[in-house]
Amino acid sequence: MSEAAFSTQPSRTGRRIRRAILIAFLLVVVVVLVLPLTLTQQAADANLDPTTLGIDFAINKSIVRTETTIAMFVALAAAWNLIGGLTGYAAFGNVAFFGLGAYTVGFLTDKQHLSFALALPLAPLVAAAFAGLIGVPLLRLRGHYFAIATLGTGVAVGEVIKNLDVFGGATGLFPPILRHADALFFYLMAANAGLAVVVTWLVMRSRFGYGLIAIRENEEAASVLGVNTTAYKVGAFALAAALTGLAGGIFAQWSSFIDQESVFPIQYNVQMILMAIIGGAGTLFGPVAGAIVLEWLILSLAGGGASAVYAQMGLGVLLAVTVIFVPRGVVDFFGGSSKLSLGYFRRSLRETSV
Amino acid sequence: MSLFVQQVILGLMLGGVYVAVAIGFSLVWGVLNIVNLAHGALVVVGMYATWFLFTHAGIDPFLTLPLDAVVLFAIGYLVQRGLINRVIRAPLFFTLLLTFGINLVLINLFLLWFKADFRSVTTSYSGAGLNVGAVTIPYIRLAALVIAMLLAGAVGFFMNRTRTGFAIQAVGADKDAAQLVGIDLRHVYALTFAVGAACAGVAGGLLSTVQAISPTAGEPYTLQAFVVVILGGLGRVSATVVGGLLFGLIEVLAQSQVPGLGAGWSNAIAFAVLVLVLVLRPQGLLGRLA
Amino acid sequence: MGGRIRGLMSGIAALSVLVACGGATGGGTTTTTGADIILGAPLSLTGSSSKEGGLAKQGYDMWQTWVNQQGGINVKGVKHKVQIKYADDQSKPDISAQLTQSLITDQKVQFLLGPYGSGPTASDAVIAEKNSIPMVEGNGAAQAIFSKGYKYTFGVLSPANKYLQGVIDLAATLNPKPSTIAMLAADDSFSQEVAAAVNDYAPGKGFSVVYNQKYPNGSTDVSSLVAAAKAKNPDILLNSGHLAEAIAINKAAKDLQLNAKLFAYSVGPSTPDFVNALGKDSYYVMDGSQWTPQVKYKPTFYLSVADYTAAYKSTFNTQEDPDYHVAESTAACLALQKAIENAGTVTNTDKVRDALAGLDVMTFFGEIKFDNRGVNVTKPMVVEQIQTDGKHHTVFPSDVADKQVQYPTPPWSQR
Repeated sequence: MSEAAFSTQPSRTGRRIRRAILIAFLLVVVVVLVLPLTLTQQAADANLDPTTLGIDFAINKSIVRTETTIAMFVALAAAWNLIGGLTGYAAFGNVAFFGLGAYTVGFLTDKQHLSFALALPLAPLVAAAFAGLIGVPLLRLRGHYFAIATLGTGVAVGEVIKNLDVFGGATGLFPPILRHADALFFYLMAANAGLAVVVTWLVMRSRFGYGLIAIRENEEAASVLGVNTTAYKVGAFALAAALTGLAGGIFAQWSSFIDQESVFPIQYNVQMILMAIIGGAGTLFGPVAGAIVLEWLILSLAGGGASAVYAQMGLGVLLAVTVIFVPRGVVDFFGGSSKLSLGYFRRSLRETSV
Repeated sequence: MSLFVQQVILGLMLGGVYVAVAIGFSLVWGVLNIVNLAHGALVVVGMYATWFLFTHAGIDPFLTLPLDAVVLFAIGYLVQRGLINRVIRAPLFFTLLLTFGINLVLINLFLLWFKADFRSVTTSYSGAGLNVGAVTIPYIRLAALVIAMLLAGAVGFFMNRTRTGFAIQAVGADKDAAQLVGIDLRHVYALTFAVGAACAGVAGGLLSTVQAISPTAGEPYTLQAFVVVILGGLGRVSATVVGGLLFGLIEVLAQSQVPGLGAGWSNAIAFAVLVLVLVLRPQGLLGRLA
Repeated sequence: MGGRIRGLMSGIAALSVLVACGGATGGGTTTTTGADIILGAPLSLTGSSSKEGGLAKQGYDMWQTWVNQQGGINVKGVKHKVQIKYADDQSKPDISAQLTQSLITDQKVQFLLGPYGSGPTASDAVIAEKNSIPMVEGNGAAQAIFSKGYKYTFGVLSPANKYLQGVIDLAATLNPKPSTIAMLAADDSFSQEVAAAVNDYAPGKGFSVVYNQKYPNGSTDVSSLVAAAKAKNPDILLNSGHLAEAIAINKAAKDLQLNAKLFAYSVGPSTPDFVNALGKDSYYVMDGSQWTPQVKYKPTFYLSVADYTAAYKSTFNTQEDPDYHVAESTAACLALQKAIENAGTVTNTDKVRDALAGLDVMTFFGEIKFDNRGVNVTKPMVVEQIQTDGKHHTVFPSDVADKQVQYPTPPWSQR
C-alpha cells in the first residue's frame, strides 16, 4: 500500500496522549500478568472468590481461561503479521500450523505417552518444517493465488489428518489432563505471545526485516538489489509457522481434547488476519491491540443465546467497516502519523474506492 | 463396466452443477479480480428463493430460475456498488476479507430467518430417470446439466457478442483506459458482479432440486468453485466449463476407482488438485494468468 | 412453528402449571425448603445444531417444571428447587469448554447437564474432571469420551455401537432373510463407531457386509457412493450419519433405483424434518432409536411413558410425539436427581458422583445403570419404522413393538 499522502506530524498534546495511553496499557499488562499468581490451588479448587482471601482483584479460573485465550490470539495475530503484514504475503491458511502443532503434542502425549514438557518443543519444529516444505512452491505465487493456495492447504492438512487413524481419526486425541495448571497454561500462552512480539521487534530491526519490507513494497526491485527473496519469504513463513505451531501445542494440552474440527477451524484464519489488520498490519503492537480487543469482544458475546448469531453478524460488519474505513488499523492513531477525524475516514475511502 | 459408465455419468452431472456455480464466480474474478468468498451464500439465496416460490406459490423449480436470476441480480448490483466498490484499489486481500464478512452476515441472516432446518424441494417427478441397461440417468440431474451448459453459453454470448459484454471486457483488461474512453467504471463493476450473482442464483435454483437446503449449504461450493476456476483457468467461459466437468469427474472417479481412497478423502483430493495446479500450472488448463 | 413461538408457549404453559400448583402447596408434610440447586447446561441454542440443542432443552425443561412442581429435589427431608442456567455453545468444543468453566466459576453451578454433540461433550468432560463437578449427559454417544478414565462424566444413553445392532437383530428374524449389507458412514467419531460396530456384529448374525464406505461429514452429494453400493446388490442399506446425509442418501437411492429390501439410518428418520422433506419417499425407512413412545418400561419415579408423551404434547402445544433427543435429556436429569437423593447431599459433589456410579433405577426411558466407565449399557435400543400411514411405529424388540415391520420394501418404481 502506498504511503499516505496525508500524514501529519503529531502535535505535542498528541504525543502526551499517546504516552499516557502507552503507560496505561503497560500497567494493565503488568496487572494481568501478575494476577494469576494469586490463583492459589486451594482457591482454584474451591472456586472461592478471592475477596474472601483478602485479595480485592477479581481473578478466578474463568477469567484466567479468558486471558489464556486472548494471549493465544495475540500470538496467532503477531505470527501472521510476520508473513502477512511485514512481507505482504497474505496467508489465509495459518491455522494449518496451529493444527499441526496441536496434533504433534496430542499424538506424542496421548499415543506415545511422552510428557508434555518433551512434546511441546517439537510442535513449533514440525510446523516450521512443514512451512519450509510447502513454502518453497507456494511462495512463488502472488496475490489471490497465494491466498487461495494457503487456504486450500490449511483445509487439506486438516482433512488428511482426519482420515489417518494413527492420529486418532475422527475421534480425536486426548492428552492426559493436567490438573491445577490453569495459571501455568496462561503463562505459557503469554510467553508465546511475548515471544512473538519480541521476535517481531528483532526482525523489524534487522537486515532480514528490511528485506521483508522491501519484498512487500516492490519484490522485483528487492531482488535486483540483491535480496534473496525466496529465502527471506520462506524464512518469514517458517517463523510465523513456528510461533503458530507453538500456540497449537499448548492448546492441545490445555484443552485435553483435540480433533480436526477444533484445531483446524477456518474461522481462525480470518480472525487472526482481522486482528492484525484492525490493529495495524505491519506494525509491532498493532496485532497485539487488535487481538486483545477483538477476542475479548468475541468471548464476551459468546453464550448469550440469540446473541451468538448477532455476534457473528457483528463480526462480518466489523470486517466490512475495517477494510473500508480503517485499512491501516487503529495503531495508526496511536503512534502512527494520523489523527482520528472524519477527514481521515473520507481520505481512506477515496484512496481505495473505484 | 456398467458401474464405470454410471460413475462417469454421475461425474458429468456433478460437473454440471460445478459449472453452474463457478460461472458467476469465474466472471467476477476474471474481470474484476475479486475473489468472492460470499459466492456460496449467494447460491443459497437462490436456493431459498426457489424453495419459497415452490412451497408457497407452487411454481415448478425449473420455472423459478429466471426469477432467481432477477433477485440475485438486484442484490449483487447493490452489494458491489455499495460495498465492494469501496475497496477495489486496496490491497487484494481486503476484498477477500470484505466478501468473507458479507458471507458471515448472509449466513447468519439465513439462520435468523430460516433457522437451521433442512428444507427440500421435492417435485412429483423427482426420482424418475432413464434406465439404459444397468445405468440410471436421473432426469432432474440431467436437466440441471443441460441448463448449466445453456447458462454458460448465455454468459459467453453476453460477453462476446454484446456491447455491454465488450465494455466489461474492456474494464477487465485495463480499467483506467476503459474509463478514458467513457465507460462508467462504478456501473460496469456493479453490473458484472450482478451478472455473477444472477448466475449464482440460477445455480442455487438448480441445486435446490438435488439436495437439502440449509443456511450453510453454500460453503462447500465456494471452495469448490475455486478449484474449478483454478483447474480450468480464468478469462474464458469454455475454461470454466472444462474445469467444472473435469473436476466433477475427478471427484467421482477418484473416490470410486482408486482402491483405498474413499469418499472421506474427497475434500483432501479437491485441495490437493488445487494446490498442485497452482504450483505447476497457475493459469489452469485453458486460461490466462490473471 | 417458529422456535420462538414454541418457546413462548412452553414458557406460558410452564408458568401456568407452576401457578396452578403454587396455590395447592403449603399443607400436610413438614418438609422445609432449602437453597436452590443450580445446574449448568451448555447447549447449542443457535447455529447449525440448534434444532437438536433445542430438543435437549425441551427435555431439561420438562423435568425442571415437574420437579419444581413437587417442591424440588428431596435431600434428606429438605426440598431444593432447581434452576438451570443455559449457555449457548453453538456446538463448538472450545466455546463449550469456555462456557462450562464460566458456568462453574461465575454462575456457581453445582452440577452439569451435558451439551449436544460428541465434540462439545468431550471438551466439557475435561472441564468437569478438572473442577470435580459431576456431569450427566444424554446427547453425546461417542464412546471415546468414556475410555479415558474420566470419573465425573456419565452418559445415560446407549452408546454408539448399539445404534444399528437392533436393526441387524430384527433383520435376522425376517423372512425372506436378507443376507447382504451396504454400510455408508459419515466420517465423524460417532458415525464411525456405529459403522465399526455393524461391521463387527453383522457376520455373527449371518450377514456379509458387501460395501463399506465413509464420506465427509455434511456431504450433500452421495450419488457415486450409492451407485457403487447398488452395483453390489445389497439387501440392506445402512447409513450412519446425520439428518442431512440421511435425506441425501434416500434421495440418491430413489434417483438411482437402488431397491434394497430394508433401509435403516442411524439418525434422521426419527425427526419430523425427515418425513417433511421426503414425503412418501420416507416410508419403510427404519432407524435405531434410544426411545420411542411405545416402549413399555414401568418407572419407579417420575412420569410413565404415556404421561410423559401427553405432558410433552401439552407443554409444547404440538401433536407430534417427543423425539428421543428430548427423552434422553430428561433421563439425564432423572439420573442426577436420583443420585442427589441417594447421596443425601448437594454440597459434597464427590458423594453425588459416587451415588451416580452406583445408581440403578428404572425410568420411563429404560434402566439407568452405569458401568465403570460411566456408560449406560443396560438399556437396549429399539427400532422404529416410518410406515405407510406416515407415522413412526416401533417394530423391534417384539415386547415393545406396536406394529409389525413392513417388509420387504417395495421397489421404487412400484411406490
